[in-house]
Amino acid sequence: MKSRPLALIPGLAAAHLRHEWILTLCLVIALAAVISPLLVLMGLKHGTIQTLRERLVEDPIFREIRPAQTREFQPQWFESLSAHPGIGFLTPTILPLSSVINIVPTGQSKAELLDLIPTAPGDPLLLENNGAIPMDGEVVLSSEAARRLGVQAGKEIIARVTRSRSGKSENAEIRLKVAAVLDSRAGSLARVYAPLSFVLDVEAYKEGYAAPARGWAGDTPEPYASFDGAVLLLTEPLEPIHKTGLIINTGFGRISDLPLDKASALLGFPVPGQFTAYDLGAPGASITISNLKAIEQKLRGQTRLLLPYALNISLEHNGQSIRPVGLSLDQDQAALLGLPPSPWGAFGQNLPKGKLLTSVLWPQKEDQGEDNQSIQVSSSGIHSLNFPLHITGTSTLTSPVVPVDLMGVLRTATQRGVLFNEESGRFEMSRGGYRGFRLYAQSIDHVPDLYHMLKEEGIEVVAEVEAIERIRVLDQGLGRLFWLIALLGLFGGTAVLVASLYAAVERRRRDLGVLRLLGFARRHVFFFPVVQGILIASLGLVAGFLGYGSLALAINRSFATELGQGESFCVLPQSYIVLFCLVTLILSGLASLAAAWRATRIDPAEVIREQ
Amino acid sequence: MATPMVYLENLTKTRSQSESVFELQVSSFAVYPGQLIAVIGESGCGKSTLLDLVALVMAPTRVAKFQVSSSTGTPHDVAKLWEQGDESKLARLRRDHFGYVLQTGGLLPFLTVRHNIGLPGRVKGMGTDEKRLHSLAKRLGVAHCLDRMPISLSIGQRQRVAILRALAHQPQLVLADEPTASVDKARARSIMEDMHTLAREEGVAVVVVTHDVDLIYERADAICSFETTQVSEQVSLSVCQQEQVK
Repeated sequence: MKSRPLALIPGLAAAHLRHEWILTLCLVIALAAVISPLLVLMGLKHGTIQTLRERLVEDPIFREIRPAQTREFQPQWFESLSAHPGIGFLTPTILPLSSVINIVPTGQSKAELLDLIPTAPGDPLLLENNGAIPMDGEVVLSSEAARRLGVQAGKEIIARVTRSRSGKSENAEIRLKVAAVLDSRAGSLARVYAPLSFVLDVEAYKEGYAAPARGWAGDTPEPYASFDGAVLLLTEPLEPIHKTGLIINTGFGRISDLPLDKASALLGFPVPGQFTAYDLGAPGASITISNLKAIEQKLRGQTRLLLPYALNISLEHNGQSIRPVGLSLDQDQAALLGLPPSPWGAFGQNLPKGKLLTSVLWPQKEDQGEDNQSIQVSSSGIHSLNFPLHITGTSTLTSPVVPVDLMGVLRTATQRGVLFNEESGRFEMSRGGYRGFRLYAQSIDHVPDLYHMLKEEGIEVVAEVEAIERIRVLDQGLGRLFWLIALLGLFGGTAVLVASLYAAVERRRRDLGVLRLLGFARRHVFFFPVVQGILIASLGLVAGFLGYGSLALAINRSFATELGQGESFCVLPQSYIVLFCLVTLILSGLASLAAAWRATRIDPAEVIREQ
Repeated sequence: MATPMVYLENLTKTRSQSESVFELQVSSFAVYPGQLIAVIGESGCGKSTLLDLVALVMAPTRVAKFQVSSSTGTPHDVAKLWEQGDESKLARLRRDHFGYVLQTGGLLPFLTVRHNIGLPGRVKGMGTDEKRLHSLAKRLGVAHCLDRMPISLSIGQRQRVAILRALAHQPQLVLADEPTASVDKARARSIMEDMHTLAREEGVAVVVVTHDVDLIYERADAICSFETTQVSEQVSLSVCQQEQVK
């Protein structure tokens, strides 16, 4: 057997404490008297703050930041905001009026008018209220909506969207499955939560458009043609007095004489000499068909040509820039200008149908300018557009000739979102902005920052910022108070331990000397008080936790009526308990160092003969 | 003759207390295996000092040679160990080779008699031979109080337990400091006799410090005596002489 004197020290130290059990008990009680109140204080602080926080944290309502006004939010705005740290969930919403939907439970006829709200994966309002994220073809109902409809999760409902278009009432129907019904905590209003795509289709249908994916008929949101101005060609010049009168109430703001060579440059073809040209414009605004019609109206009976133009429109083809001429002339107009009539007809109310809009007359000298061919071109704008131009004939001009409508559409595309739908071969207005958003912060601690950030952006928002900040202030205050008291308690407890252990060594000098005589070295007896300190602290912890436990139980019982399920006023998380024990034991070890040092200084020769 | 277990030569120990200085001089001191050595003298002559020096709990002021040898191994140079301050090595020598009987027993009050007796063996790292312990206890007449606390024993019983503790871990040398000072003469004689008999049986050398010459004189193999002189008002000198009796 190997000699291990150090291993004997804990047993001896414990035997000593047991022998002097009354003193030991007093020390343990003294420590417990410090530890218990500290634990209760810590538990109360943690428990109350936790309860208050959880009430906020648990309910996603407190993480919500709602827009206080309806305004337009561009898709880019959503993109940049969702990248912002602290955003837990963000989805665009539509105009409240567009979001009302008729819901009929299957097998019934009575419809309920409910609010349709977009959702998306990660929506905390749904996920944290016993809900699920609806897939396409599914909805989630608020408890009030489910009550009114009399349906539960798993049942089917029929959504009916109604609109009136050109005086006729139309409606579309779709069967939807109820994926979940939310807890009443999620809100008292009757609401239907559905994927954003469905909500957008409903909105589009209500505005008269089609939703082809759902088989709902309607218009396509066609872009309109817009222009920078128009060139007016007259065979007889205007009287100056008529000149200014011409543009009143037409949307044009300016009329000026235009030399023929400049008119030719603007229009892209030579203007015959018998005409007098005027330039009509609306600085800072766009010219549309209605403005042109107003001018035409005023010039009725006169021989005239009103040719709109769009500036700075160019197309890219095979890396080359093409500047097409926009020209839509009927037989008479063509005859006046000495040009062939346009195959797509005159400029008018509606855009040329189908492929006519993207037709082109290609200059003869170009090799690829053969009939029935198409070339791929692109243009820049809000969205860059890629579309084919169908070559329907040869141009008598040096530049390719396209319908002036196309030029107008391309100009619109530089100001508004226009997309080219390859399937239908048509241009479509892309969706504009959204009219609102649903935003949830990752945690309540992120709410104040986001709230202030949005406010600074000039967006009026509403959030439960005050409730959150109140708790934060309370937490900090209580934390400071706790540390002050803890410091006092720790100081007192440590002092008690230092004094008692030192006194114990002094009292037991002779026994420690005998131990040295029996073959323990200085470094062995060093641990005698250390072990005692740790033992006393451990016993003090046990007693302290017993005291804390019973007091916490009493506190939680007496406040039981104010507390919800699983809530407690006085509670300590496991990590706190471990940390507290660790700190106490380390402190007791440190407190024993003075006594330990004293123990090593004992000279056996001096003490073994003491009585 | 065999190698001495403890051998020291030309040792001086100077102790000063406030004004007065006490100096102990030992020209030579040797303990051979199995010997009983009596250290005899008036109080204040330095016999406890000599015992503490031999017990390795007091550092000599000067010493020419100081060796402790085990029966098997090489001699340990104690003078060097003190010089190096190798306190752990000295403690190991103490626990491996020595046993102690103090004037008042020196039992640890917080351990039972049984644990007190077993402690030196456990410190040394050997198991307790319960059978041997029990028979020794029987011989010393303390077998019935093994599970009692020292406080509940009579002084005579405590001294016997202390002797038992000093012998239990089979040391080579037992150092006894006035083991019978606190009992009456009859009991003292019986205690001393028991200690001597057991030591002889176990082959253990014993150094006994006593002021009572009669108790030990006939048994001792060697006797250490002291000659004290007052050198000056402050300085007193004590010279120790060892003399073989048998």
